[in-house]
Amino acid sequence: MRGLFYQIKSVWKDKLCIVSFFLPIVVACALHFIGGIDLSSVAEFQFGVLKHDLSTQTASWLERYGSVSVYETQEELITAINDPSTYMIGVMADGDTIQTMVSGDELDLFRRTADTLPALYKGRESTGQISITVLERPDMMEGLQNIFIAITLVVAMFMGCTFNAMNIISEKENGVELLNQTLPMTQSEYVMQKIFVGFIGGCLSAVLTACCYFRLPVWNALLMFALIILSAFIAALIGLFIGKLSESLMVGVVYIKIIMIIFMAVPLVSYLLAAGGLISVLCYLVPSSASFEGIMNLAVNNNSMIAKDMLILAAHCVIWFLLYLSISKWQKKHMWR
Amino acid sequence: MFCSLFKKDCQIMLAGKFFLVAFGSLILYTLFINFGYVNFMNAELYNVYLYDPQGTQKEVSELIYPVDSLEELNTALSTDANGVGVDASSDTLDIVFYFGSEKADNHRADYALSLLHQENEYTARIVGTNTLESKQRKEMCCELLFIEIVAVGFLGIASILFKEKQMGVIRVHAVLPFKKGLFIMAKLTVFLLSDLIFAVLMTAFNIGFPDAVAILPAVLVQTAILSLIMTLTGFGCTMMLKDFRQFSLAYVLIVIFVSAPVFLSANTSVKMAWIDLYPFYHVYMGLKNACFGIPVTDPVYYICSVGGIVILFLIVRTAFHREMGKEG
Repeated sequence: MRGLFYQIKSVWKDKLCIVSFFLPIVVACALHFIGGIDLSSVAEFQFGVLKHDLSTQTASWLERYGSVSVYETQEELITAINDPSTYMIGVMADGDTIQTMVSGDELDLFRRTADTLPALYKGRESTGQISITVLERPDMMEGLQNIFIAITLVVAMFMGCTFNAMNIISEKENGVELLNQTLPMTQSEYVMQKIFVGFIGGCLSAVLTACCYFRLPVWNALLMFALIILSAFIAALIGLFIGKLSESLMVGVVYIKIIMIIFMAVPLVSYLLAAGGLISVLCYLVPSSASFEGIMNLAVNNNSMIAKDMLILAAHCVIWFLLYLSISKWQKKHMWR
Repeated sequence: MFCSLFKKDCQIMLAGKFFLVAFGSLILYTLFINFGYVNFMNAELYNVYLYDPQGTQKEVSELIYPVDSLEELNTALSTDANGVGVDASSDTLDIVFYFGSEKADNHRADYALSLLHQENEYTARIVGTNTLESKQRKEMCCELLFIEIVAVGFLGIASILFKEKQMGVIRVHAVLPFKKGLFIMAKLTVFLLSDLIFAVLMTAFNIGFPDAVAILPAVLVQTAILSLIMTLTGFGCTMMLKDFRQFSLAYVLIVIFVSAPVFLSANTSVKMAWIDLYPFYHVYMGLKNACFGIPVTDPVYYICSVGGIVILFLIVRTAFHREMGKEG
């Protein structure tokens, strides 16, 4: 217990660990406040027109659908349409109707809009008996924001590896590791302490991050807590591996960065691709995939699927732990030869 | 003298696995662009679902999905929140959809109505030269190139320089008989060359060789500007910070500071008023426009970049001299 206290104290003194502890929490708070910003304007249409070309009625008709920018000459208009960072649709008058221009590299959404715009213009007068019902969006946790939240949580969960990896590496660099071997402490005690340092750090960071995002009912909160515990345990094991494998701080930092990138990229890409079949099974080799999926399922209240994610995480815990034990056993055997 | 310094730096980079990391990320990016991004990034126009039990709508377009009951209409809309439902079961046509944004909703309603009549197909005039795929390739290529130089390359530079600093190589140079600027120049040349080669391979693999040849000169100019700025920043950080641990804090801040506003404003319609004053935004846009074959012609941009690089160089040189003067 006393040893553990010293471990945590030494981690607490490491500024790098403190920053990585607070990073996800700060991002969570920021997203919590940014949540109010309307992301829907991203999908608004932009139209480009020529000066003195469209009638005022037509221009105000266009403004019902999106923003309208006015250009002096046709060249300027075409340059604006071709600008790679926008999806501008050019609109020109053509007698009673209108003509549209696109650059040809638009997403389908914008190209089809440009194709159908003249038909909409023609039909603007023909109002029959029409009523419009606008439904409220079911929940705020949707789309982009959902993914952001899940990814920040995954980062927080697996940040635990930073704490014990940094701890082990700095001990290596200071020579404390050699000292440790002479202390009356068993290998298992040492491993437990190191795992605990990463585990506690990762857990705390993830729980605080989750608190910034969610107001979950009790049962879901318990599920989330279980997800966090399993992930943080795996993160602590990964931290042990990093600590064992890297000889210097630099190598350790690079390893941590690579692992974090893989842990963020794999679930994200497989989610966006809606990967199925063999690929989705392969993605479970990266533990963060299961955590990510679990969080997404929790967010949409799909509780039955979470059991599967938890099982996968638990399997990861056991496998990595056994792997670590067998590696250290092997090393011990060969160290004295 | 320069040659031997250059050769030594190359050897250090080889030993530090710098090229290995760069090559690995090149493969990763290429795989991502060719098999991931190009395939999944597409947004379709809204689907329209029609519930019409009496068959009052005679000439609907083929793009409409007919449904058989109101429940089916509701489930279709709740799974496809961008979709539009048309309920023609009573005398008044009822258009149903989930709230998106005010202007988009106007368009969705009118678009759904227009699909109830067959129209002769109209195709918008195409004024650009890119297709969707070539645009996505160029866009992603440019973004990843930027990320590689700003984040991955920058980390590599610092890790190599810190190693030299820790080993005391920099102080050894203080007593060697050569111009001190040469040391910095040799480093700059190595990193610049490696970034340029990376840029060439990246564009050739991902944009396609024939297209790449045409845009390559402009892309290389922009890459050089960005690479010099980042190398000098990395150099400066190494000289001013005590150890790699401190650097890794500064690294996170610098990378977020450099890349976050750029990606926000260049890829989404979140526009920030001060972004025009932000130097990295201009460098990024220069790179992006170069990828799209519209090189920057504004001399002010080049004057500012060269000025910035010279100022950074002077700062780094001062820091370098100070570092050499320190006593062990």
